[in-house]
Amino acid sequence: MLIDGVNNAGAMPTLDAMVRFTAQRQNLIAHNIANVSTPDFIQTDVSVSSFQANLRDAVEERRDRSDGAFGSLQIRSTNEVRVGRRGGLELTPQTARPGVLAHDRNNRDIERLMQDLVENVGAFRTATELLNQQTGMLRRAMSEQAG
Amino acid sequence: MYGSLDISVSGMVAQRTRHAVIAANIANANVLYNAEGEFDPYLRRSANFSAGDPSASSADGRSMGVHVIDIALDENALRPRWEPDNPNADADGYIMVPDINTTVEQINAMEASRAYEANVAAAEATKTMMSQALRMLA
Repeated sequence: MLIDGVNNAGAMPTLDAMVRFTAQRQNLIAHNIANVSTPDFIQTDVSVSSFQANLRDAVEERRDRSDGAFGSLQIRSTNEVRVGRRGGLELTPQTARPGVLAHDRNNRDIERLMQDLVENVGAFRTATELLNQQTGMLRRAMSEQAG
Repeated sequence: MYGSLDISVSGMVAQRTRHAVIAANIANANVLYNAEGEFDPYLRRSANFSAGDPSASSADGRSMGVHVIDIALDENALRPRWEPDNPNADADGYIMVPDINTTVEQINAMEASRAYEANVAAAEATKTMMSQALRMLA
């Protein structure tokens, strides 16, 4: 219970959800890039904005529940993002990426794909850096108390 | 995240195979005889892709990614050339030669090479994410 409280303190659950989401979305982006010249392949993705809205609702709900300081984040499962029992996220892309069909009936848009790739890595790095800071603070607090 | 690497690697393998097929088309653009020395003009080949990669090591890699489903021969990629002195010429003096447009092949090679680079960039991004995640443990 104590450890659970440590892991669910402050912004950690939100950052954790962000890391899980971006790590899973990396698969989808890599899949779209790998199939950039596959005939009849329709590029799909998950909607980042709807996940963010979902995350925002969960943060608001947590804030109402515990003032935002402690407690787990209850993210709702949607048809695109299913939340597992241990907080893992399973992505099922439903959103067709915009793009004109090429002669091989593939709606590739390599520039947008690379942009998504860079943004996704950026979001992952931001979340992991912030998580690092949080765990660093915890580690320092623990070592000072122990020492 | 190893799944992402599998996916990007499958894209690199597929594009490299496609590049090899294009190189073979260019190299054999004027080939009229097969390895046994028989008159058998080279037929243009093309690598066909399909989504999913059965050879990947992770479940994500198998369900996603891309693989070469077959290397198809284009049976119609022949054109007649008037060469009445050639022993293989028909009654009208024509022989069939490979119909391979090296300019088109070069453009396809460029596209394959760019797609390969895109997969390398995706793999690099995944590696950055992995090392970033490892820093959390350190």
